[in-house]
Order: sequence, then C-alpha cells, then structure tokens
Amino acid sequence: MVHVRDPRVQWSVRASSVVRIIPAAEWRASPALDLLSALAPTPRTGPRGGRVVVVRGAGGREVALIAAGAIDVGDVDAANVLALPEVLADSSPHVAAIITAHDASLSLLLELTALTSPVDTVVGEELCPSRS
Amino acid sequence: MRSLVPITIDTTWVAVDMGTVREIGGPLTWIALPTASAVLPGVAAWRGRAIAVADLAAVLGAGERLTSPTGRFRTLYLQHGSSTLAVPVDAVREPLIVGDDEVRPARVRTEAFCTGEVDVEGHTTLVVDLSVLLDSHRPAVASAPH
Repeated sequence: MVHVRDPRVQWSVRASSVVRIIPAAEWRASPALDLLSALAPTPRTGPRGGRVVVVRGAGGREVALIAAGAIDVGDVDAANVLALPEVLADSSPHVAAIITAHDASLSLLLELTALTSPVDTVVGEELCPSRS
Repeated sequence: MRSLVPITIDTTWVAVDMGTVREIGGPLTWIALPTASAVLPGVAAWRGRAIAVADLAAVLGAGERLTSPTGRFRTLYLQHGSSTLAVPVDAVREPLIVGDDEVRPARVRTEAFCTGEVDVEGHTTLVVDLSVLLDSHRPAVASAPH
C-alpha cells in the first residue's frame, strides 16, 4: 500500500495501482484531484507545490491525486482492511474500505475504479457541441 | 415495562432502548468520510469490521459536532437492523426500567424519532428510536468525484 498522511484524513491506495509519484508541478495532463476537499481546504504544501500520486482510475486512465502529506509504502494485513458498512457504501463510492494500523489509527482505502479525471468527457459530448 | 439507557450530549438528555445496545465503550477513534452526512460522518473499526459512526449532536442540534479522529468520553454500540452503529456520547447513566405509563408523549421535540419523554434524575429525557432517526438521515448516493 501507498499511504498518504494528509493532515485532514490519512488515505491509501494499493501500490499496484500507482503509476508514479511526482512533484505536482510536473503533472499537466489534467487538474489533480483533492478527494478530501469536502472535509477541509487543501493544506498548504510549501514552496515546491507538493506531490501527486498518479494512479490508474476508471477506464485505466491516469488520475493525479493531491498528496498533501508525507508518503510511505508498507504492507497491510488483509485482516486490517475492513469494507465500508452498507449504510455508507453508496454515498462514498470512492472509498472501498478503511485500514486499521497497529497504533489504532485509521486510513481510507480509495476505490480507484470510481475515480475519473476532470477532463474525462461524457459519451456523446463531442457530438453535441454548444451552439452558444 | 421498558428498559432504557439514558445518555447525555452536552446538556441534552436522551434515552435509547436497552435492547438496541450491544456494548458501551470508551472514547472512539474514527475516520471521516469526505462525502458522508453530518449525521453519519464517518467510520470506526469494531470487532474486526467497519461500522458507521452516528453524531447525535448533529441530529439534536446539541453540543459540538464530532471531529475526527476523536469521539466523546463514551461510545454506545447500537444494533440497527443488520448494522451496528457507534454513537459517541458525553455520558452514559445507569440503565432504568420504566412503566409504559411513565413515558409521556414527546413535547420538547416532535420529530418522528422522538417517541416520548421520561424524567431521569430530574431531567426531561427524550426517548429516541434510532432506527427512525437513521432511516431519515440515510445519506444519498453520491457521484464519484471528478
């Protein structure tokens, strides 16, 4: 797993889904996503602009996730990966589970197949351009 | 006769049916979900599975809202259908048994989840049905972020 210690909420993605980790300034394909923006504004990342974790999202497209915190890689016991309860699963399609750490802290395991790039188009969108 | 567990959120007294209480624990560690509702703001780990966290302060408009990762002094683990909920509270009082005639119609609040009122230690205490409460606050299906 790749873990991002975001000061708002720690989150994780499976290492096999990570394409690369790069300085945010080097990612220009599309706006990077801040999945935690509903919780609080993106923390300041310093003069170098922080990093992004580039992952394979829906349709295998690369999606950059803002990593506002320290990044580390580590193994996680499958028993410590707990699926979201049914009552919350529908409202949180981009979170697959929580991960419990040895220190009892928790991390959100992201559901990458639900992630789409901000520049992804809706099917048929190009065929119906605005007339305005 | 009804068995109730009185709890407090800030200065508000609430009682839940003893039959729904699976466990009473200490402070809760939980994690916020970005698209969750104020009533069900996040998740906690309990007995090897993830369970939803309910914030009664958000429902009742009493006291400060929960802030991840810490809860309140005590936590009620309540059974709701096939699900278990973690409900952080400020205090849990001694369970009590009351006669049906001691439960008055709710006057302080009239929402559907308020099924009555009883007097506990001199405090007007709302008897709440969390299944009604949570069904009415079940979060809407969210779209994936983009």
